[in-house]
Parts: sequence; structure tokens; C-alpha cells
Amino acid sequence: MRNPLNEVHVPVVDDLIEDDYVRSLALAGIALAAFLTTLGIGGLLFPDSIAGDLAGIVFNAGTATATARLAAPIVLAALGGIFAEKSGVINIGLEGLLIISAFVSVYATSLVGAGNTVLGLPAIVVGFLAGIAASAALAGVFGVVCIEFKADQIIAGLAVWLIALGLAPFMSTVFFGGVNTPNLGVSVGWSYSAAMVVVATAASWWTLNHTAFGKHLRAAGENPKALDTVGVSVSRVRHAGVLLSGVLSGVGGSALALSIGQFVGSGETMVQGKGFIAIVAYLFGNYNPIGAFGAGVLFAGLDAMQVRLQQLGYAVPDTLVQTIPYVVVIVVLALVGRTRLPEAAGEHYETED
Amino acid sequence: MSRIDAIARSIREFLRTFVDLSVAERLLISVAAIFLSVVVGFFIILASGRVAACETAAWTMPVTGLGFCYDPFQVYAVLFNGALGYPFAFGEPGLFNPDWTPFNLSLGLTLSETTLLVFTGLSVAVAFRAGLFNIGTQGQLVVGGLATALVVVAAAPVFPTGRLGGIALIVIGVFAGAIAGGVWGAIPGALKAYADANEVITTIMLNFIAANIAYVLVLEVFRAEGSSVVATQYVPEHAQIQPWFFPGSADFAEAALLAGVLFVVGLYVLIEHTTFGYDLRTSGIQPAAAEYGGVNAKLTTVRAMTLSGALGGVGGAVWVLMSEGRWIASVPDLGFDGITVSILAGNNPLGVFPAAFLFGLLKGGALEIGFQTDVPTELVAVLRGLIILFVAMPEFFRMIGRYAGLDGSGPASGATDDSAAASEGGEADA
Repeated sequence: MRNPLNEVHVPVVDDLIEDDYVRSLALAGIALAAFLTTLGIGGLLFPDSIAGDLAGIVFNAGTATATARLAAPIVLAALGGIFAEKSGVINIGLEGLLIISAFVSVYATSLVGAGNTVLGLPAIVVGFLAGIAASAALAGVFGVVCIEFKADQIIAGLAVWLIALGLAPFMSTVFFGGVNTPNLGVSVGWSYSAAMVVVATAASWWTLNHTAFGKHLRAAGENPKALDTVGVSVSRVRHAGVLLSGVLSGVGGSALALSIGQFVGSGETMVQGKGFIAIVAYLFGNYNPIGAFGAGVLFAGLDAMQVRLQQLGYAVPDTLVQTIPYVVVIVVLALVGRTRLPEAAGEHYETED
Repeated sequence: MSRIDAIARSIREFLRTFVDLSVAERLLISVAAIFLSVVVGFFIILASGRVAACETAAWTMPVTGLGFCYDPFQVYAVLFNGALGYPFAFGEPGLFNPDWTPFNLSLGLTLSETTLLVFTGLSVAVAFRAGLFNIGTQGQLVVGGLATALVVVAAAPVFPTGRLGGIALIVIGVFAGAIAGGVWGAIPGALKAYADANEVITTIMLNFIAANIAYVLVLEVFRAEGSSVVATQYVPEHAQIQPWFFPGSADFAEAALLAGVLFVVGLYVLIEHTTFGYDLRTSGIQPAAAEYGGVNAKLTTVRAMTLSGALGGVGGAVWVLMSEGRWIASVPDLGFDGITVSILAGNNPLGVFPAAFLFGLLKGGALEIGFQTDVPTELVAVLRGLIILFVAMPEFFRMIGRYAGLDGSGPASGATDDSAAASEGGEADA
């Protein structure tokens, strides 16, 4: 029998080298490298100028560790978003998944008590796992709502964000008496965050491009009918994709909160739009985990730089500097423009019996 | 027993006439979503009341004797009764509170929120009908409100201080807000039309940018002298929209609500009964067909987003001129709540009014919950999210409808509806 999956055309992989997109990405990479080199030389020649200060910031260990810390939620949520969207479910609720895991990881750690262990696991590890579980559970609900009850994915994703935005500060007030939790006194080092980001990126890339599951996932988003014809359940694959987005975002949200040892629930919470920036990161990376990694690190680096700029006491108002990553996101999105959504993303699939 | 059956049957008959009507169905789904959210919220209150620490139990569950720190019945009673200023006197001999007047502070606060949400809800609804998801109403409101405050403060010395001068200033201020909000809304519209940049992302980013830029502008340039918070100067008293009957501390003016109602009717006519509205709707439903039919879809996209932004800007103007009297950096989440309002209203301008009133109630009620109970007021934000989630899944309610026999294919009783709702509640809790 002919295997219809062979005919599933997956342009992102097939045309990777030919793609204009990759060329422009390479160009952007070279431009960035050139800029950094100029900055570095300028900084060395004129150490007292603004260029010197900027170079000091860019090539600074503090900036590097801050980037690693801030990149974790963006890159991991972006990887999760790729899995969900590749399978055909647009998960705009990544922000909510980050929020809920950030809170639950801190709560669970404080419940166990910093320094205590459960079954040999330190409290902070238990917190990490609890954060992942909470995020996966919320993603599971989102999956059921979208796949079984055929909800509008954008609105349901928005609901996930709004529910988490309400629930996390609500629970924080119930348990700790305020929207911000007290500091745990323990935290996860930046090197762990960096390691998780790198491992997750590599694993996601491998899973998507070199496993049967990855092929099913892409088929569920591009041509669900073909997948159905070879006898693989489309909705099961999509549930898996959405759950994976929950697990990965859970790792990211827990890493964000536990790297500080506290959950901040005021305003937009400590997540502050990182879930939405993650969406742009994977769009920028054109659904390629490595591209999403690059974009995520770039956005995190911008964020880290503005923190350092503030510490150096520049007269530029810090709020204006904070705006840079958001402007960059819009410019990037306008330039990259036509990102190609998976063919069947956002659509419900009815099994034909 | 047979009598209950008969009642159930007649209710079913009544509902069946609605099943095929899409507007009525939407209405039914919205009501069911609200009900379901209240049910789920009930369990969230119970669960959090079980784990919270308190001296004495506020509510003890019958039969089991378990004590809870929060009393869910009291929470809901305070939420809805309090938002209206306690017209009902529970547990008293007469059901109604004899001291209640309609022009009380709580109802004023509720209606103030309602008024603002009418504008932001309309803003989101207009974009939605054009097939655009404007999450940027918040940013458009921030920008529009700032423009209003600055223009009115700058123009005030030119106009006489009488009533007429005040009205002129208010009109100028609202126009300034509409223009600024419209420009801010046109940006994602143009990006969508000509660069194919997803408007969901760009509007979210523009929200952050608007908040930051407005903050810096006011902090560095326009900050009122001696102000401890980041805020502009107050607009002169006569340029603020004043209440007729309600107490001034409620920050509510009947005239603004009336204007909101006019906007609702105006937009309904615009969307349903004009050529522009037709272009808007067709490019929302079938962009390719609209283009084929001679509609300039790109231009319609920009226009729709500009109109949407202008409405958000008017919302900001009303917020400045009615609620605050100045632009202040802590802008409430009116734009985000506008999304909820629009979705609950089925993106129909006529539905925006009742939906805005419901969220006005929740807002007014949240304040009362803060005063009267120990339950965190963030509960209301959770309810908001739940309502959106349930409205997003009409298929779920259709399934229940089919299960309950609303399509006439089988007998059922009203009880199945409730038990299905309750089990769903447990799931969403997780």
C-alpha cells in the first residue's frame, strides 16, 4: 500500500537551504556579529566613551548570566509553542502557562520547606516538578477545550492567560497574604537554566526532524487527513503537542521564578509578556527550534542589557530602555512578515469514519 | 413527578425554539458560560477556603461538618448585592433594604466601570467583526487618555470657564483621545495589511510600548509639580464630566453612560446597515470573496483598526475626564476587560452593553468583597478568565444540549444539565 505520508510536503525542512528566510537570518547574524566586533574594538580603543560602557555591558559576565536566566522562559515557551502549533493547535496561552508554573514552583518549594527533601529530592527540585505539572495540567485543559470541544484556539488561549493572571495572584494571596510571595532564600543557578535551554533546544530539534513522532506532529498540522489515512489519531497527536507545550513552558516558568526564589504577582506578574515574546521568537525562528533559540537569546540579551544600563545609572529613563525589546519584536515581525503557518493550524479536524 | 416532567418538557420546548437561532444561541451560551463560571468559582472559593488559615470557620459544610475559611454563598451575595449598593437585605424581615437609594456610591462605581467598558468593548468588537483580534485596546486607551489630558490642560486657558467652555473642552478632549487612539490603532492595522504582521502579537507589544512611552513622557515632561505619583496636571473642574445625581466620589457621570449608549446604537447601525459595515463584515468572514467583490481588504483592515483604536481612545478620554480628572500612570486594565466584554457579547455592539454591565458588577462587587470578606479580590479576575474560556467552547454547550435532548431526539431531565456542569467544573479546576 502506498504511504500517503510520503507525500506530505514539509517545506521548512525540505527547502531549508533554498529558503530566503534562512539567507536573511544569516545576514542578520553577520550584521549582529559585525556590530558586536565594532563595539568591542571601539570599547577597547575608547574605554571612557559610551561605546566603552556599552562594550562593558555586552561583554560582561553579569550580562551573560542575566541573559541565560531571562532566556530560559522565552526559549522554552517558544519550543513548546512550536510543538503545539506544528501539531495544528495555536497556543497563545504560553504566557499563562509560564505564570502558573512560576507560582506553583515557588509554592511547592515553600511547602516542602527549603532545605528539606522528599524521597531524596531537594525542595527546589520538587518545586520544579510541581511547576511543570501545573503548567501541563492547564495545557491539558486547554487541549481538551480546543480539540474535544472545538473551541476557538485564540480565545481559549487568551482565557488560559487571563485565568493564570488571576489565579496565581489569587492563590498567592490565599497562601502568603499578598500577591508577591516571600523570598525562598534558595535559588537555581543560571548555569542550570542555560543547560536546560540548550538541552531542550537540541532535543526539540531532534524530535521534530528525526523521529516518527515529529513527522506525525508535522503531518497533524499540515495535512491531518493524510495522518488519519495511515491510521494515526490526529487528536491524540495534537493532545501530545499541546501537553508538550505545557511541559516545556512549565520548565521555563519554574526556571524563571526559582532563579530568583520568589514569585512576583503584581501587575502583569513577573512573566511580563515573556510568553508573547516567545511566540514572536518562534515565528522569527520560522518554527525551527534552533531559530527560536537564537531569537529567544537575542530578546533575552536585549532585556539583560537594559537591566545593566540601569545599574550603570545612564540618564536614559530605564522604562524607555525596557521598551527596546518590544519595538524590536514588532520590527522583526514586520520584516519577517509572511511566516508560514502550518496549513491546518487553527482548524478542527473531524475524523471521517 | 409528572408535574416536574411537564415543567421540564415545557422548558425544553421553549428552549428548542432558540436552538437554531444563532443570536439566541450565542445569548444562551453566554448565560450558560456565566453560570458555569459561577459554579467553578464556587469550588475555587471552597478549595482555597479549605487551605487558607483562619481563626474560625466562616462556613461549615452541612452533613460533613468540614469548616471553610470563606463562605461562597456570602461571597456571591456580597459580590452582586454589594455592587448595587445592597438593595436586598438578606435575613431581614423584608427582602428589600429600606435605606437603599439608586444613587448610591457602590452602584455609581459599578456604572462608572460599565461606561468605560462599553467603549473598550466596542473597540474590540469592531475589530473582531473585521476579522481582526485587537488586543491593543489597552494601549490605545493609554495613548488616547494621555492625549486628552494634555490637550485639555493646554487648551483650558483659551476657553471661558463657564459651562459652555467646559463642554467645548470636553468635546475637544474626546476628539484628541479618538485621534491619538486611532493613530495608535492604525499602526498594527497597517502592519497587518501591508507587512502581514500578525495583529495579535503587534498589538500586545504596542500595549507595552504605549504604557512605557506614556510613563516616560509624563515622568520627564508633563508631570504635575509636587505630585507624588506619576500623573499629569488635573484638567480644570469645569472640563470634567460631572455627575447629575450620583455622589462625586463614585467617579460616574450619567452623561457619559448616555453617550456610551449612543455609541452602541451608532456602531450597530454602522456595522449592520452601511456599506462600510458590509465591507467590514465581509472582509472579516471571507477576505478573498470580499476582494473579489470589489472591497479593498487592505484598506478596510487599516480603517477597521483605526476605528477600533479611536474607540479605545475615546474610552481613555472618558477615563481621564470622568474617572480620574487627570492621566495617571496606574491605568486600570480596561482594554483587556474590553476583550472579555466583546467576546461575551458575541462581538455584537448591542450585546456590549449588558456584557459591560456584568463586568461593571464584577468590578463593583470586587471592591465590596475586599471590604466585607477575607477572600482575595483577584477572584474576580479568575471568574473573568473562566467566562472567556467557557464562551470559547460553544460546542461543549451544544453537546450538553444534545445530551439533554434539546434537539428533540431524546427524553432528558433538567438534572443532567446541572450534573454535567458540575463535573466540568471539577475538570477546569485542575
